[in-house]
Amino acid sequence: MTFGLGALVLSASMAALTYLTVRQILLSQHETAIVRQAVANATLANTSLLTPGTDMDGLLASLDTSGSSSVIERAGQWYSTPPSAGRNAIPPAVQRLVLADQPVTQVFVNLSGGPQLVVGIPMRAADGAYFEVASLDDLAHTLGVLALALSGAALVTTILGIVVGRWASGRAVRPLARVSLAAETIAGGALDTRLPATDDADLAPLAASFNRMADALQERIEREVRFASDVSHELRSPLTTLSASLAVLETHAEQLPARSRQALELLGAELRRFERMVDDLLEISRVDTGSADLSPEEVEVGELVRQAAATGGARGVPVEVSPAVADAHLRVDKRRIDRVLANLVANAAQYAGGATKLSAEPGPPGTVRLAVWDRGPGVAPDERELIFERFYRGRAARHRAATDGTGLGLSLVAEHVRLHGGRVWVEPAPEGGNRFVVELPRVGSPGGDGA
Amino acid sequence: MSTRILLVEDDERIRSSLRLALEDEGYDVDEAGTGEAALARFTEQPADVVLIDLMLPGMDGFECCRQLRRVSTVPVIMVTARTDTHDVVAGLEAGADDYVTKPFVTKELAARIRALLRRARAADVPSVLTFGDVEVHPDQGTVRRAGAEVHCTRTEFRLLCELASNPGKVLSREQLLDRVWGYDYFGDGRLVDVHIRRLRTKIEPDPANPRHILTVRGMGYKLVA
Repeated sequence: MTFGLGALVLSASMAALTYLTVRQILLSQHETAIVRQAVANATLANTSLLTPGTDMDGLLASLDTSGSSSVIERAGQWYSTPPSAGRNAIPPAVQRLVLADQPVTQVFVNLSGGPQLVVGIPMRAADGAYFEVASLDDLAHTLGVLALALSGAALVTTILGIVVGRWASGRAVRPLARVSLAAETIAGGALDTRLPATDDADLAPLAASFNRMADALQERIEREVRFASDVSHELRSPLTTLSASLAVLETHAEQLPARSRQALELLGAELRRFERMVDDLLEISRVDTGSADLSPEEVEVGELVRQAAATGGARGVPVEVSPAVADAHLRVDKRRIDRVLANLVANAAQYAGGATKLSAEPGPPGTVRLAVWDRGPGVAPDERELIFERFYRGRAARHRAATDGTGLGLSLVAEHVRLHGGRVWVEPAPEGGNRFVVELPRVGSPGGDGA
Repeated sequence: MSTRILLVEDDERIRSSLRLALEDEGYDVDEAGTGEAALARFTEQPADVVLIDLMLPGMDGFECCRQLRRVSTVPVIMVTARTDTHDVVAGLEAGADDYVTKPFVTKELAARIRALLRRARAADVPSVLTFGDVEVHPDQGTVRRAGAEVHCTRTEFRLLCELASNPGKVLSREQLLDRVWGYDYFGDGRLVDVHIRRLRTKIEPDPANPRHILTVRGMGYKLVA
């Protein structure tokens, strides 16, 4: 853009300068010619008029006027050629000056709007004055054409300037834009993004070191992901044995003495909690390393909430779907969103005596809000964001007591919702208790063929 | 006569604990520590259900399943440590009917086995369902295409019956999971997707452009005659 502006300023000033200079030159040339002619005519007239009884018409006819009008004043009488010119062809101010013995050369605009040049020469000897009035129409026309041509040239130059400017800066900026784009693509998860080899001497070293960095990053991340999934397998095998053995013990629990039964109960509860922790930890590590792959599909809001209410912990919980979103669709990874709702319900069971309602309602335009309601103790305002952090358990001492929570449930909710471009928060419910709200973007209009 | 389960798992302790737990549930359990051993045992004494762990030394779980499928339509449940889409889908494509993830609750596994072994629903199904050049005989448990018999696993068969007895009607994944796999809570839609794919390869003239078993985007599947 600066290029364009520079080109504009430059070409405009050049054009203006050229115009003014040419105008000045043409004008003064024209003026000089007319003045010379007028002086010659005035001298001739002056001499002729010294002879008494001179015929004015004859005199006027003999003057060399070539396109100008000649006007003579003598003793209060005005004579001119062409006769229509006369005194009125001369501006009064010029008349006064010349009659007062002052020669004048002046440009003025006559009654019909055309530019004219008047030269007035006092004829002392003949006690009169000589005027010559020349039309500058032609000159004006020429200048007009010139002005147009120069403006056109200035415009073209400006446009060219803008075009060249764009191209030049594009050339400079494009390679950098490519690097920046590649960096963003990698950050977004496409770890194998690389810059192609380039001949550009400035860019080549940048591209090379960028690619090296990307290689190192990819290797590191893939190693971590592999580690995470290797850990997964390693932990799950002993857990399978523990789980199966526990099941056997529980089946024969009544054969055990009371104390052993009690120990078995503790074992069972903690083992199940341990399994959930392993699951949650692995899930979180997958989100961290960006290896969480979303498989989005279109789901109907009402269906989603009803199904969440039909599972385990939320069975029997009333569902309220606002008509405004009854047939709205979301484009989400169904299993993750199911998990989000399940975690919220479990959280309600953990800390608030159970979920009392699941609802779906419209949010700001283009969004749907899913909410899990409970009647538990409210979440203190300063804890409302903290509870979504990993392993945060809440200040109240009783929360840390017998709990089946893994400390990761809400942070997983936050991560999954974030991956879908949504928001989640907790707020007090109008009739007491809490509302955990998940806000997700909705898709345009419902699809499918009505079956 | 109790149901026989063939358990294919290389970890000894898992095998032992699972055997105990499954016997408690009333099953007879055969063990195999490798895919090769499993196939050998199955040939000697066919089981009613086969549980295959994916991570096996030598022949892996997928290959074991594939080879088993060549000789039998016995219900197969894959046991996996990963829920990665790749593993689950690969296992289902190899011929498994369902999958469980380690560690699992044994009672849940028992419930799934029972669901797999359930006989197809009785009375209100006509004795033969036809569409295109395919004939389905629900009471006999057979499928014929242009006269020739098509070998289907029990799950594929039940899925086909379910679709064929509701021609033109769209059945959602959840409905199919409930009716065919017996899940009373929502299960994994991928089970349905992969089994539909498998059915298409068996009964569609052009599996890539199905004429009978159609996908209804955002809703489910339906069968048209």
